[in-house]
Amino acid sequence: MAAAGAGIRLHPACRVRQEGFGLLFYDARGPRLLFAETGSLLPVDFYGSVRGKDEFPEGLTENQKKALQKFVAQLLEKGFLREQSLC
Amino acid sequence: MSNRYVEMGLRAPVNLTWEVSLACNLRCTTCLSASGEPAAGELSTAEALDLVEQVHQAGVFQINFGGGEPFLRKDFEDILEACHTRGIMTCISTNGTLIDRRLVERLAATRLVAIQVSMDGATRETCDAIRGKGVFDKAITALRILAASSIPTSINTVLTAQNADEIPAMHEMARTLGVSLRVSRFRPSGRGADNWEALRPSPAQLLAFSDWLANSGDVRTGDSFFSLTSQERQGLGLNLCGAAKLTCCVGPTGNMYPCAFLQTDRFKAGSLRENTFQEIWDSSEIYESFRNLRIHSCEECNRFDQCHGGCPAVAWHLKNDINGGDPECLERCVTSIADANKTAKAA
Repeated sequence: MAAAGAGIRLHPACRVRQEGFGLLFYDARGPRLLFAETGSLLPVDFYGSVRGKDEFPEGLTENQKKALQKFVAQLLEKGFLREQSLC
Repeated sequence: MSNRYVEMGLRAPVNLTWEVSLACNLRCTTCLSASGEPAAGELSTAEALDLVEQVHQAGVFQINFGGGEPFLRKDFEDILEACHTRGIMTCISTNGTLIDRRLVERLAATRLVAIQVSMDGATRETCDAIRGKGVFDKAITALRILAASSIPTSINTVLTAQNADEIPAMHEMARTLGVSLRVSRFRPSGRGADNWEALRPSPAQLLAFSDWLANSGDVRTGDSFFSLTSQERQGLGLNLCGAAKLTCCVGPTGNMYPCAFLQTDRFKAGSLRENTFQEIWDSSEIYESFRNLRIHSCEECNRFDQCHGGCPAVAWHLKNDINGGDPECLERCVTSIADANKTAKAA
């Protein structure tokens, strides 16, 4: 996950869009695709701006937040999201 | 690559190949679209800009521009600007002859463009025999200018019988220039069909290239060689034809096709002058047939999971049958060499 004081946002080389199954991520550097079966858990534009590491879309249950945290860690590891200073 | 999601159908292509003009200042013998003079009735600037907006609304991530030589279109930078202001990534396939420092500075400032410069040999002789006299030197000059910029740049080489032995040297040349190498498959469409027998790589060359590729992880192939891809490269790209599923093609006059190698009336999915981009993507019978295409004749092959029957365009151009499986897949190369050896022994 992101270091303290850092936020997370979509990598500039990446794009994301909503599909029926969830989110489709695209990384132009590969190019690579990531099919994420997120349903409507994560709004498509959520990481279009810098988000705090503990910031979640409204209305999620604790279990959903845990699942999302795990997914965000994967996206960071794969380079679709990147850490960025909050200020 | 998750075939399951692709087969469920995406709401738009991931990327679009857009041949913005048939006009070209070269007459390369491998040209997939037989470019030269502009096509009659090419999309106007207003139509092109409207298409960019439609593609943006559809959610397409990237447009791969080709032709023809895209920079011959007077409004090409306006089209690029329309893409970039909407956040659409672009990749331009160019012959490099019109690239200069000022153009590169303008393009680099967008941060949303990548460029492929076509070069078909590591030597002047090999390259110019395919692309025309003096083109090798012009391409090298363009690559040096691009390599000094922030634009992700690659050499794009079409593998032919003539340059197959030079691919490792091209890889080294790309490394020395500070760019990457992308190798594309030679397909018998456009002028490539006229010169197919003279330029097609032999099964032995295809096999040797596949082996070399296995140990050259930084060489890109797009979706060109998935039917030849070894186990070592699985995960680097597609294991099925992405036409009408992940990608599609718009021709110079606004006709849509499954891919750039199938720009014929038989495979016309629709015209942007009659329907919208989204309508054609959603409703074209041609696209539907590609989405449902299953190469049953290849299902018993032990490599089926790796290529799903290969490139339908090659199957169509060589056998007139998109259901017949790729006649030049890795398995068929191996079989063809074994058969030739048997025949030679028997003789």
